[in-house]
Amino acid sequence: MIQLAKRVIRQTINDKRSVMLILVAPLLILTLVYFLLGDSDYVATVAIDPDAVPAPVINALEQQELQLVDITADEADQALDYLQQHEDVDAVLRFLENSGMDITLYEPSTKGATAIGEIQEAMADINPSAEAEISYVYGTQDQTLFDSLGYVFLALFSFFFVFIISAMALVRERSRVTLERLMMTPIRRAEVIAGYTLGYSVFAVVQAIIIVLYAVFVLQLSNEGNIGWVLLTMVLLAVTAVSFGATISIFASSELQVVQLIPFTIIPQVFFSGLIPLDLIPYHLGNLSYIMPIYYGAAAIKGVMVYGDGFTDIWGYLAGLTIYALVLYIINTQALKKFRKL
Amino acid sequence: MDIQLSHVHKSFSDTAVINDVSFTVAAGEICCLLGPSGSGKTTLIRLMIGALPADSGTIQFGDTDMPNMAILKRLGFMPQNDALYEDLSAQGNLAFFGGLYHLPKRTREARIAEVLDTVELTGHKRKLVKNFSGGMKKRLSLAIAILHEPDILFLDEPTAGIDPVLRRKIWAQFQALKAQGTTIIVSTHVMDEVVECDKGALLYNGKLIEYDRVDRLLDKTASGRIEDLFFAASESEARP
Repeated sequence: MIQLAKRVIRQTINDKRSVMLILVAPLLILTLVYFLLGDSDYVATVAIDPDAVPAPVINALEQQELQLVDITADEADQALDYLQQHEDVDAVLRFLENSGMDITLYEPSTKGATAIGEIQEAMADINPSAEAEISYVYGTQDQTLFDSLGYVFLALFSFFFVFIISAMALVRERSRVTLERLMMTPIRRAEVIAGYTLGYSVFAVVQAIIIVLYAVFVLQLSNEGNIGWVLLTMVLLAVTAVSFGATISIFASSELQVVQLIPFTIIPQVFFSGLIPLDLIPYHLGNLSYIMPIYYGAAAIKGVMVYGDGFTDIWGYLAGLTIYALVLYIINTQALKKFRKL
Repeated sequence: MDIQLSHVHKSFSDTAVINDVSFTVAAGEICCLLGPSGSGKTTLIRLMIGALPADSGTIQFGDTDMPNMAILKRLGFMPQNDALYEDLSAQGNLAFFGGLYHLPKRTREARIAEVLDTVELTGHKRKLVKNFSGGMKKRLSLAIAILHEPDILFLDEPTAGIDPVLRRKIWAQFQALKAQGTTIIVSTHVMDEVVECDKGALLYNGKLIEYDRVDRLLDKTASGRIEDLFFAASESEARP
């Protein structure tokens, strides 16, 4: 088993692309996610007819992080046409005699939502009694989407990249007949799977440390709990990913087929990882998450990073991952019977 | 240790690929599995080493049925396609398999150097296998098969795609192993190679059409060419 683990480590180190995929790709994508979901500092542009908007409203709007553009009464009346011709403007704000405030937007988008948010804040400033004080048990109103969902990406990356490498490596072992040759040596079936798991676990540990340190200390991902539990969860998730990859490799006879199986095996797990609240998914489909390993990892990481949970709170998720890995380990060991009965 | 096959049968999707094959290879012999492509040579080797279960019949090494862990330790296997780890060096491949066969660390390095010398790859031991030529890969694959000094060696088409000079060298190595007492079962579709063997098992469409000492097999042909036995089998099968 140790021999096999050593070989996996040497082989992976000699394959620079695999090293990049395990250690560099997660950081690169995490950085992109940080910029995509982080605070964009976007300043929305709102067009108003200054003659038709009350002066206190204009004053309040000017206090917000908004860029105001003056338009004529005709342009305000033809707000839809105006927005089509001025794509740099996010919203047209009008005050109508009978129906009050009217906001026209180019399309439903984050930019439009920013404009609406700022207008609503300006209205609240004019009428403080209408302002709602919002408090959270965990987190703050100012936190970015990256702070809210960053934990999901830690779980996804620790699973996905190790899964890809291990599934591809095992398919290659089968297609190049090295697995058959391996099974003609006095190694036990259980040792083959354990050797693979151990070998990739070394990379999983290094990957987990790099990703967590980068996310928390460089990208400033908010963390309420003990990083050690996050690392443990990520390593456990990566170990499960090795077994998951080995199981998927049974159903694939080439590297291309592994890629073809990703939409069936990995992408559904992304949706059930916590990216979308599970109780919002209709027909109780959220319960499907219980058969998906990424769910257990993401839930445990969320517990630690968002709620500040400790081992006593997340042990159930860790147990779920361990059971998952053990079941897959047994399946993989049995699958090797194809090459040798004992 | 003799290897005995008795009424071995194997089918894939209702097509018989090995059909009632029985023969015995005595210890220390070179037995050649000879036959055209698709005759069942590789399947028969995989059945013998326990990589495939037979549908019926028995395969025994001495008194032991395969697969058996104790026998696997004494068995060397060179598959038809080289089955090497291309991201490792020649030395890395040998060290890995040496570890699997539990070669003692203090002698492992010396043994690796010895087999590298045998297959004339000493000067390339640190090169990654992906940079090897086809012939070099074959030689390394052979080196892995003989690394742990097995009692029984299974070689599946070891000289396929090899130039005549290297082929002669490889056969010289087989003869040297035989002289040390190794039993060798070697498959080939190159008819001329049969003269290097003690016994020949002639396979045609999954059936054993002849099994005998090579000199006797050659005596059975008018021209002294082993192909004639296959032509006869082909004609007999075509006859209504």
